[in-house]
Amino acid sequence: MTTATPTAPVRPTVGMTRRGFTRLTLTQAKLLFREPAALVWMLVPVVLVLVLGSIPGFRTPQAGLGGQRVIDVYVPTFASMVPLFLALTALPMTLASYREKDVLRRLSVSPVPASGVLGALVTVVAALALTGAGLVAAVGALVFHVSAPAHLPAVLAGFALGGAAVLALGLVVAARARTAAAASGLGVPMMVLNFFASGLYVPVAELPHSVQQICAAIPFGAVTAIWSGQGVLWQHLLVLAGWTVAGGLTAVRLFRWE
Amino acid sequence: MAVIEVERLHKRYGDEVAVHDVSFEVERGEIFGVLGPNGAGKTTTVECLSGLRRRDGGRVSVLGLDPVTERDALRQVLGVQLQHSALPERLRVREALELYASFYRRPADIDGLLTRLGLTEKAGAAYKRLSGGQQQRLAIALAMVGSPQVVVLDELTTGLDPHARRATWELVEQVRDAGVTVLLVTHFMEEAERLCDRVALIDAGRVVAVDTPAGLAARAGREQRMRFRPSEPLADAELLALAEVTRVLHHGPQLEVVGTGNLVHAVTSLLARRQIIAGDLRVEQATLDDAFVSLTHATTSGATS
Repeated sequence: MTTATPTAPVRPTVGMTRRGFTRLTLTQAKLLFREPAALVWMLVPVVLVLVLGSIPGFRTPQAGLGGQRVIDVYVPTFASMVPLFLALTALPMTLASYREKDVLRRLSVSPVPASGVLGALVTVVAALALTGAGLVAAVGALVFHVSAPAHLPAVLAGFALGGAAVLALGLVVAARARTAAAASGLGVPMMVLNFFASGLYVPVAELPHSVQQICAAIPFGAVTAIWSGQGVLWQHLLVLAGWTVAGGLTAVRLFRWE
Repeated sequence: MAVIEVERLHKRYGDEVAVHDVSFEVERGEIFGVLGPNGAGKTTTVECLSGLRRRDGGRVSVLGLDPVTERDALRQVLGVQLQHSALPERLRVREALELYASFYRRPADIDGLLTRLGLTEKAGAAYKRLSGGQQQRLAIALAMVGSPQVVVLDELTTGLDPHARRATWELVEQVRDAGVTVLLVTHFMEEAERLCDRVALIDAGRVVAVDTPAGLAARAGREQRMRFRPSEPLADAELLALAEVTRVLHHGPQLEVVGTGNLVHAVTSLLARRQIIAGDLRVEQATLDDAFVSLTHATTSGATS
């Protein structure tokens, strides 16, 4: 995670030491844990799975859901909530509040490059998202016997790429938003749209076909489609890769310290 | 040898010119002040030489490095304390120092820094729990944590109470005594007078004068006054024979000598030769304040402390 751009060959320059990156990442993690919001958001989906799963009607197969139980449909949706919240709300708001409070200004005169700051935050958020989503999946599987999807590698790839896609979008917001309020103003609608596409409000299978098509173009709509085996896998993966690359490049171009 | 060279620096923000034409050199081991009214271009100047902003014209070299093209190398040897900069509220003092230390190839000893800056007792305190003076001391510690050869301190004592301000000044002197060259940006005359070896006076984006604080004060051209009670009678003519003396006034047993230039030295030398003791000696000299007002177009308050 260095952006060493050696200009004078006599003086080899290092943008950031590995030790520095590790320390920055650990510090970011510590700071996130000191803000209870992130932890709450990691646990809310787990609680939702437990609550929904404890309703007997949600544990019986439904004809309208193609013989699946409600809990089967909702586990991937709840698992998606964690990365969506962290990537589209926690990440941009954290970075924007650093910008707002001149924390980034202080960092910008240290040897840390912008990519180091973004990289450290993304590392922490990705690790938390992975843990949170894994927790939801584990509770679903162990408590309510939600079976693993038949095409597990595809689903894991979908989640990983979907996480990358929303992280990239979160970074676009984070790159420029001047205040935490502005960041949440941009990030929250994106998060809600992804919630919708992942079937949080209405199961995607119950939506009209045309709306389902649109949902599949939204990152976590594509992830949910991969999980439920809808549509063509490579198309979904292409959508996710597209968002990741476009978002990442835009974020790097737009980034400002202040 | 000059460790900072600024030559014809020019910086615009859109149509607005923040720095017209600024040149100065800072020698190794000195405390160099950049002084000027608010909005004179002081902060923009230090931002350009810290590599925080890209200059629009001129040449800048810090320790032989170009702040823009050799930014990474410069970051390792330049410590910067910026006006308007902060840390995450919940970050603790020691964590902040350990974090910033990890960014540098030659980090300073953290316990030593904590002791020197009087922050040992606050090592476990969150940033938002610190007083203004403590936050400023931490800012100095962070500027020093990479064992820099040069530190830039921007409006270090703005917003501090007089006690904290004096304590901070002592720290700056300690920093210099440790062999670090200090570039101090301030609009407090008293601060510049007390700390700086030399000062660049900037007004409206241009350097008005570069001199020692005393030299600048002398340029203000104001009359100087000495009042004392001579132990033996002294003829006015003897005093008026000195080139520096313009007038002599009598106030009972007290003499008031008015003059210019190195008045104090001239008069005290004469008294010494006559073996006359000057009782109740008071000297009223032109100050940096006077120089500031006469050399810049500062008409508003806030320019003086």
